Amino acid sequence: MEREMLQCINVSAGYGDRLILQNVNLTVMEGEFVGLIGSNGTGKSTFIKCISGLLPLKSGEITICGKKNSRLKNRERARMVAVVPQSYHVEYDFTVEEIVMMGRNPYLGLGKKESQEDYDIVKHAMKLTNTEIFRGRLYNELSGGERQRVILARAIAQKPEIILLDEPTSALDVHHQIEVMELIADLNEKEHITVVAILHDINMASRFCHRMVLLQNGNVAVDGTPSEVISRKNMESLYNMKLMIRESPMFGKPEIVPIRVMEEKKIRKPCHVHVICGASGAVRILEELDARGYEVTAGVLNQGSEDWAVCQELHLKCVEAAPFTPVTEEKQKENLELMQSADLILVADVPFGISNLMNLKGLETVPGRIYFHKNALSSDYTNGKLVPLLEQLGKVKKITYIGDHDEFLERIKTEQEQ
Amino acid sequence: MEKRNRKWMILLSVVLCVVLMYGCTVMGIASISFRDVNRILAGEILHFPVDMEGISTGSIAIIRNVRLPRVILGFIAGAALSVCGAGFQGIFRNPMADPFILGVSSGAALGAAVGIVLHLNKSFLGMSGTTFLAFVGSFLTIGLVYNISKVGKKVPVATLLLSGIAVSQTLSALNSLVMILNKESMDQIVFWTMGSLNGKGWNQIIQVLPWSVIGILILLSSARELDIMLTGEDTAIQLGVNVEFLKKKVLFASSMITAAVISVTGIIGFVGLVVPHVVRMVTGPKHGRIMPLSLLFGGTFLIICDTLARSLVAWEIPVGIITSVCGGPFFLYLLRKMKKGGVS
Repeated sequence: MEREMLQCINVSAGYGDRLILQNVNLTVMEGEFVGLIGSNGTGKSTFIKCISGLLPLKSGEITICGKKNSRLKNRERARMVAVVPQSYHVEYDFTVEEIVMMGRNPYLGLGKKESQEDYDIVKHAMKLTNTEIFRGRLYNELSGGERQRVILARAIAQKPEIILLDEPTSALDVHHQIEVMELIADLNEKEHITVVAILHDINMASRFCHRMVLLQNGNVAVDGTPSEVISRKNMESLYNMKLMIRESPMFGKPEIVPIRVMEEKKIRKPCHVHVICGASGAVRILEELDARGYEVTAGVLNQGSEDWAVCQELHLKCVEAAPFTPVTEEKQKENLELMQSADLILVADVPFGISNLMNLKGLETVPGRIYFHKNALSSDYTNGKLVPLLEQLGKVKKITYIGDHDEFLERIKTEQEQ
Repeated sequence: MEKRNRKWMILLSVVLCVVLMYGCTVMGIASISFRDVNRILAGEILHFPVDMEGISTGSIAIIRNVRLPRVILGFIAGAALSVCGAGFQGIFRNPMADPFILGVSSGAALGAAVGIVLHLNKSFLGMSGTTFLAFVGSFLTIGLVYNISKVGKKVPVATLLLSGIAVSQTLSALNSLVMILNKESMDQIVFWTMGSLNGKGWNQIIQVLPWSVIGILILLSSARELDIMLTGEDTAIQLGVNVEFLKKKVLFASSMITAAVISVTGIIGFVGLVVPHVVRMVTGPKHGRIMPLSLLFGGTFLIICDTLARSLVAWEIPVGIITSVCGGPFFLYLLRKMKKGGVS
């Protein structure tokens, strides 16, 4: 049976006169793994402070496991909610076991000694987090990743219903980031602890969370599955930068590829560049051309290829073919039509084989100048048909061979300026 | 530290303490033989049927009414101040905190000064006028500091420390003013502020003991929560500690103990600062260990200092001077030896 673990109704809170959270509404069900995302200063940490009882609300109500948060004593709340902060420093020489044992405090009465049961729970918590080996060591002397595991163990020792995490991995290297996130996911799955985590890393959130909540300006802007939340529109407004969304081939979850914050210097005269590509080699040049203000078209692209995905993301006009089908004459006709108005035609870094050699047929009929990436010559799978084709083309039209895409960009930039 | 070791250590400390208390009772200016002291202790205090023949009533009176209560009061005062110091250092997360940090001592001193100047010889509630006023003075001070620092329902530790210092300075100035205006009482007031166990008897023990026992029990029962406070106030709240209540509890208990002790003995400095510190160097930061051991060592330390105070020279040196003179260099030696800054 699913319970409502956490319910926030019209929550407003802030410091002094400044409101950080404004009418936040959010309900978290038992067993969920919710990722809170949002840029700096949108109130994610404030939200966690409100739930964990550090900051009183200005208005609204938070209910934890059906109990009103404002009426909960710290002890009662600490039995239901555990908090794992970003990083946690203790100036005093407590051993790891002593730190984890502090998690039992909400269950221990005034001056009461820890019972065997408490020791067992602490042992179990340390086992789950692989911290048993350094139980006798001083917390201060541990590395960042080890400390985070200890704090996680302390949270587990609280036997909470909900664990709140405030950027638990942001101070860690990749190895320890994944380790901590896997541990949290494990807890969520095996111990059925509800998790609400502030995460900076969208891709990490996408990979581990069932549900993501985007906070913006102190309010819930989007709330849904990772695929619903991680859209280009949401992400670009969140980060105010150019980025790309694609599905991670490894995890089948959406991931973002941040591209640029600073605008590229725009070209002065309009110029149409058509890019002949179709695998993954033209991703960057397509984006770069688009960013500089060129009118970019492409073709013929197999659907599902990365070059195609970029065109989709950037809304570039292109001729597309079904995945893994050869380029037909009809498609090439469409492609040539698109090329008619092009000032420049770039044959990008693309391996040519029998099925896409068609892309180069009929280029002599279009007016634009042709640039050819030399790499295409070295990945020639056409049984020797590519070179004669180019030679033939070369007799009719001038082909400029370029070493890489940057050289191309540089050349067309200087041509533009002349 | 292993559990068994800890038990042994506490047991050893208790034995050491008792031996010292005995030793200090034996020592003194009036030469009473070792054998006589034993007979007096056994007969008069423990009520064993001992042959008291050949012991002068004067000797009995010295042991029973002077030396023994003085040793016991010394132990109580040292123990109480040390446990308070541990509590304050914990709640303020500040190694420089001592029982007088919130101005309790200045309040007591001013109260005592007023008492001395007014020659209040009448006794209130079994206390001398001076003692009574000192007690009232310290309580008023703590109330004042607490209320100044209060922001809404909370009492921020930093504000508490600052207003404690400010109030303390003001009261010291007033105290100086009282002395200047009453030059004939100056010596007495100065003497009082240096602290002494001279001339204290069972009466004073009865005045101090209940406050101290209650206060120390309150502090001991807060040991675990004080540990958690060391990891930060926010964390403590998230781990279920009622931080504001804990602060009030510790402040109230410590002030009660300190006020009771110093209103009787005068201001005995340094014990409450140095003893918990030294103990912490050995035991680590857990209050469940620091406080009981501070109690034992604080008591013992003050007895030793007091014995020195009354036997070093022909006249009595205020014990507050001895505690500082002995404690200071020892403390510095430890700090240098630890090379960790002491607060670890």
